[in-house]
Amino acid sequence: MESSSRQIQKVLNDGAQRLLVRASDSRSLAREQLAPRISAAVDKYLLRDDPQISEAEIAKFIDELQADDLCLIIACERGDENAWNDLVERFTATVRSAARSASSNEDAAEDLAQSIWAELYGLRTRKDGTPASKLAYYSGRGSLAGWLRAVVGQLAVDTFRKQSRLVQTEEDTDLDRLAHDASVGEVFAGIPNPEESMSNRFAQADMQQALNKAVQELAAEDRLLVKLYYFDDLRLREAGAVLGVHEATASRRLTRIQTDLRKRVTKILIDERGWTQTETEKSFAEVAQHLDIAQI
Amino acid sequence: MSARYGWEIRSNKGMKQETNNEVDLLLRRLGRRPETSIFDGNGDVEHLDADELSAYAENVVPAAARARYTEHLAECTRCRELIVQLSSSAGVVPFVETVKPLAPSALRKFLASLFTPMVLRYAVPALGLILVAAIGLFVLRQKKNEDASIAQNVETQKSTSITTTNSPQPEAQPSTAFDSPAENSAGKPGQSSVALANQPAAAAPNAPTIAGDTADASRGAAAKKEEAQPVVTEAPAPAPPKPATTSDESKRPAEAEARRETSQERLANEPRVQNTVDVAKAEDRKAAEVEIAKARSDAEAASKAQTFSGIASVKPGAASRSRAQRDDDAVEKDKNDDGETRTVAGRKFRKQGDSWIDTAYSSVRVTTNLTRGSEQYRALIADEPGIKTIADQLNGEVVVVWKGRAYRIR
Repeated sequence: MESSSRQIQKVLNDGAQRLLVRASDSRSLAREQLAPRISAAVDKYLLRDDPQISEAEIAKFIDELQADDLCLIIACERGDENAWNDLVERFTATVRSAARSASSNEDAAEDLAQSIWAELYGLRTRKDGTPASKLAYYSGRGSLAGWLRAVVGQLAVDTFRKQSRLVQTEEDTDLDRLAHDASVGEVFAGIPNPEESMSNRFAQADMQQALNKAVQELAAEDRLLVKLYYFDDLRLREAGAVLGVHEATASRRLTRIQTDLRKRVTKILIDERGWTQTETEKSFAEVAQHLDIAQI
Repeated sequence: MSARYGWEIRSNKGMKQETNNEVDLLLRRLGRRPETSIFDGNGDVEHLDADELSAYAENVVPAAARARYTEHLAECTRCRELIVQLSSSAGVVPFVETVKPLAPSALRKFLASLFTPMVLRYAVPALGLILVAAIGLFVLRQKKNEDASIAQNVETQKSTSITTTNSPQPEAQPSTAFDSPAENSAGKPGQSSVALANQPAAAAPNAPTIAGDTADASRGAAAKKEEAQPVVTEAPAPAPPKPATTSDESKRPAEAEARRETSQERLANEPRVQNTVDVAKAEDRKAAEVEIAKARSDAEAASKAQTFSGIASVKPGAASRSRAQRDDDAVEKDKNDDGETRTVAGRKFRKQGDSWIDTAYSSVRVTTNLTRGSEQYRALIADEPGIKTIADQLNGEVVVVWKGRAYRIR
């Protein structure tokens, strides 16, 4: 154990050295100043999920870090004025555009951008008196621009959520009730026979629950796609972008998931609710028919 | 028929869509219900931080960590919201699934193989080198040929004790410079032709010395010209004829006689100097060499005055004959000339005094007399261009038998 940690330390030091060489502007940083940051990134993205990961994997991970961005940020943290000027100069536009897209108006965007720079500079202090700069959380794994956009987005979402949570929850509940009633009403509307409709309604509820369960059983990647597409109302292209796949791939994957879900729902209904195969088929058709009508 | 198929295809498609459509509709309905995120309102939940979010959006998270984040994202509306924003603004280039390309044909494969980086890197420069080498070799061979022919010339000249220079100098100046030593001696009829010939031969490899000699020469430039020009004219060799020469010649006909021998030597030199200028035409030169040698021997053998006055009394028009024609002459002479006869345009002519008489001619024939340039002559040559060729190539009076009739052209 002792020897393996020593080995990892060596891999980290060597990786830090290579990173400094790789950077077009290493900003006079020493290997020792980089190593702790790299170590934290390795812990976060590799060792946490796989403590036995190979040294080669660690070295590869280090070699994929954004050398210039990481050096810039560490130099900023260390109070390098030139680095700060560079950071502000290069990323003012990025922060502003991210703030604009996260805000409802120009003033709010300007406020948001200002508070981001304040957070980055570390105007706030921690309990122990050291500046609580967000810069400490940049690992160099992704681009600095992407990280800044994420920082802006986080701040905007959290601020917005804090402000609107109560109101939002109230509205959601009301809307949900209305929507639910409406959908049930729609289901009823197409069914002439009250008895049948009653049983149908139960069938609907069973099916919906089974589907919910089936979705939960999906693999995380598939579940995320379902959530992005059906819950977040993204287009396939956008959903694909989140998953890092092409639109066409996302489309094929979605078709497979639908088929998969149908099988799962059928199985749940038969195994847990005692339905027959014919009943599930019939129920699927009926539900679809009524929902189709409701959508028109 | 086609309608039936169309229906079948549509119905099949419809069925498949419907199968998924049912789940699709159910999922849409499920999605319309507000999602109760298991992380909402739970302050202790560990959301993705900015670094993880951006790394995820840029698709650079290691696989194991990515699975963990995906798990979270599938359930956390807040992080999903952020990640959607980031991935749309990050400009992530999603990797396109590798579609299996159609198996390329053999030809396509071959063509593609021609443009592989390996080929471009090595084969193309190699081809370039080969090309350069080939051009170099070609040029070198050309040069060798020239050298060889020049060497040949020199040999011929040595054997006939005629001198030459290899330096391809411009026509007028070098010839004057070159002529000067010869001219110095040309003024002294007592000197032998061999001595004359040797003098420039010794000087030839040393051009500047010759120039110096020229400067030292006490003779006036006018005198030089006088001598140089007739020499050129008299040469039946490919020396470019100068239009003024004929008149020069006529001004001082008596002077020529005494110098014939010596100037004959220079006459031989002259064309050669100019030939060397004209490097490209090795063939021309060879022919000229032979011709010059012949001309010289002619001159020495035959009675000088007659021969040369005959040639010298060329009309200005004839003097400007094309080089090609003269070359033809040379070749013809080379082949057929036994001192007295020439063959032009397939007909043999015998020299009788100043006249060239067609060997097919007999005095019994009725002969039409014509003068060059006359109306009658022009009419004849318009009908029979062959006669013009003959008349142009033979100086002086020409008697030609053409299509059964004899013409005497003066």
